[in-house]
Amino acid sequence: MAKYAMVVDLHRCQGCRACVEACKIENNTGEGMFWMHVFRFEEGSYPDTRMSFLPRPCQHCDNAPCVKVCPTGARFKRDDGIVLTDAERCIGCRYCELACPYGVNYFNWQDPEDSQYAEMIDWTDPDIQQATGGAVPPYRNPDLEELWGSEQRRTGGGGHAKGVMEKCTFCVQRVEKGGQPACVDTCPVNALLFGDVDDPDTPISRFMRENETWRLLEETGTEPRVRYVGGKPPSQSYTEVERPKARV
Amino acid sequence: MATEVATPRTKDLPQRVGRFTTGWKLFTVAGLVVLAFAIFAYVRELGSGMIATGMRNVGTMGGATWGLYITMVVYFVGVSFAGITVAALIRIFELGKLRPIARTAELLTVVALILGAIAIIVDLGQPIRGIVNLFRYARPQSPFFGTFALVIAGYLFASLVYLYLGGRRDAAAMAHYPSRLRGFYRWWAAGYMDTPEEQARHRRTSFWLAVAIVPLLVIAHSTLGFVFGLQVGRPGWYGTLQAPAFVALAGVSGVGLIIVLGAIVKRIVGDTERVSVDVFSWLGKFLLGLLLVYLYFMTVELLTLLYATPAVEKQLSDALLFGPYAWTYWGSVALLAVPALVLIWQAVTRRWNIGWLVASGVAVNLAAIGKRYLIVVPSQTHGTLLPYEVGSYSPSWIEYGVVLGLFALGALMIGLFVKIFPPLPLSDEEVMADA
Repeated sequence: MAKYAMVVDLHRCQGCRACVEACKIENNTGEGMFWMHVFRFEEGSYPDTRMSFLPRPCQHCDNAPCVKVCPTGARFKRDDGIVLTDAERCIGCRYCELACPYGVNYFNWQDPEDSQYAEMIDWTDPDIQQATGGAVPPYRNPDLEELWGSEQRRTGGGGHAKGVMEKCTFCVQRVEKGGQPACVDTCPVNALLFGDVDDPDTPISRFMRENETWRLLEETGTEPRVRYVGGKPPSQSYTEVERPKARV
Repeated sequence: MATEVATPRTKDLPQRVGRFTTGWKLFTVAGLVVLAFAIFAYVRELGSGMIATGMRNVGTMGGATWGLYITMVVYFVGVSFAGITVAALIRIFELGKLRPIARTAELLTVVALILGAIAIIVDLGQPIRGIVNLFRYARPQSPFFGTFALVIAGYLFASLVYLYLGGRRDAAAMAHYPSRLRGFYRWWAAGYMDTPEEQARHRRTSFWLAVAIVPLLVIAHSTLGFVFGLQVGRPGWYGTLQAPAFVALAGVSGVGLIIVLGAIVKRIVGDTERVSVDVFSWLGKFLLGLLLVYLYFMTVELLTLLYATPAVEKQLSDALLFGPYAWTYWGSVALLAVPALVLIWQAVTRRWNIGWLVASGVAVNLAAIGKRYLIVVPSQTHGTLLPYEVGSYSPSWIEYGVVLGLFALGALMIGLFVKIFPPLPLSDEEVMADA
């Protein structure tokens, strides 16, 4: 049985946020939703300041607080370690979001169609039509609509429905086909590693053996499946800078 | 026609039951207007999605994902505590002089629980699916399960049974009066004849139901506290004090509201003797006891926060005590402390004044809403463990509208009940008068 995990190499991360972009394109997430978010932190005061970056996908915890509190079992953990949301069972109580110490859950406050960035552009504009050849986004990835895994539940892409919760799925629709999450594939400096840690010969297993890793908010006992190499855990003295526009 | 004969006699029903006065009609119309506005607001919310509320995601979106609705769920379920507690205590300890207030207390519990249940449903992103899936896929491991299964289902059902059983004798007596509501009273009485045998069985049933219901309600209110207290990922929530403090504040707000409602019922019925100052003084002492317990919990919590605070907790406590939530916090504290002093003064001088008691009841309820709000919201905007920027939350007019509508619905339910059923247990004269 494969056991998936992710390693984030903070020695390499340059805070370019290409992973954030890749995630948005792959999963077609709405405005203000950042399943993958990269913190840009500033520490100290001028002129002695230091910048650091911290990619924050869902941690896919082994002791996931969101799974524990879900009143209907819409949030569940698969045997391979991926934590998913069943978009057709979720009732939108948002308890998972409050139980999660990482802040990775995003609720569909409105119809996902209305929260698309594409809504902001006039697609009938002749200049734009010239560039797009008349195609009107959002691009629909048919894989997001399918049922995945032994559970055969509607989990890919979070489901995108008004009034339900969604979050990072480790791109279950790509992993099921033997691929890698979009953020991992995109990273220009290979700061993200994803794979099966049950198999000792995978690149991620080797990397974890050779490097010392730490996990985010270890003290909360959530047992995350995302590990970090290099850098240090963020403290409350960090200030977040260059936040994306996130309030919808 | 038979009804024409019966209608004038309806005015003769005891405790002004069936007398729909102009004042009552105005009150009902006002309530319906507010309710209609709330329904309009909720339909707007359903149509556009919850973007119409002031709630947003915690973290990058910088909001609070639970807001005024959950505050009101916690408040209403809290209020329900006292009604059934008082009613059960009356049975268990045979507090005869308090019996007149028992039905009012039971009524308050039933109404508050219905409002709490509605408040949960309006907070769901998928309300219809919620009603189905909460039962279909119920998971007892979720603290939310306790709120639904124990509080809304078990507790509401038990309270309804209590209200029903407690009213059978009076329903049987009321059925002897000629009125349009006779069929309703016969249905409620369900063959009850008030024979000594039936009375004994009735007393036995009520007693054991009361014995069973007291642990149920402590568990129910504790699970509501667990919804927050078990969450290690939210500073300000995680703690063992959460469950007992919930029970204590539930008692404070509930007893406070019984005092208010008792005074209103006294006015409606025009009865000065049965709901005497004695009843109110007992409720006042009960309120004072619970208030002191809660103030103790609050002080302990405050000292812990101020003495040795982890960094994240400090950010939260600063926001509470000196930051954007300071007005709500200190306002609530004042609305708890001042009534406590007023009650202590009345207890010491042994001069109980219903006006002051009602004012205290209103004050502690405002404080309870404030404290519930402070439990729910600040831990989301100022309590993220990762260094997200602090967030903010202010309810939209839709949320205010729906909450006002809930209060209106509650008032309408109580207003209707006191006009179709005697709010006080019938006195012997009122029972005799049927001949």
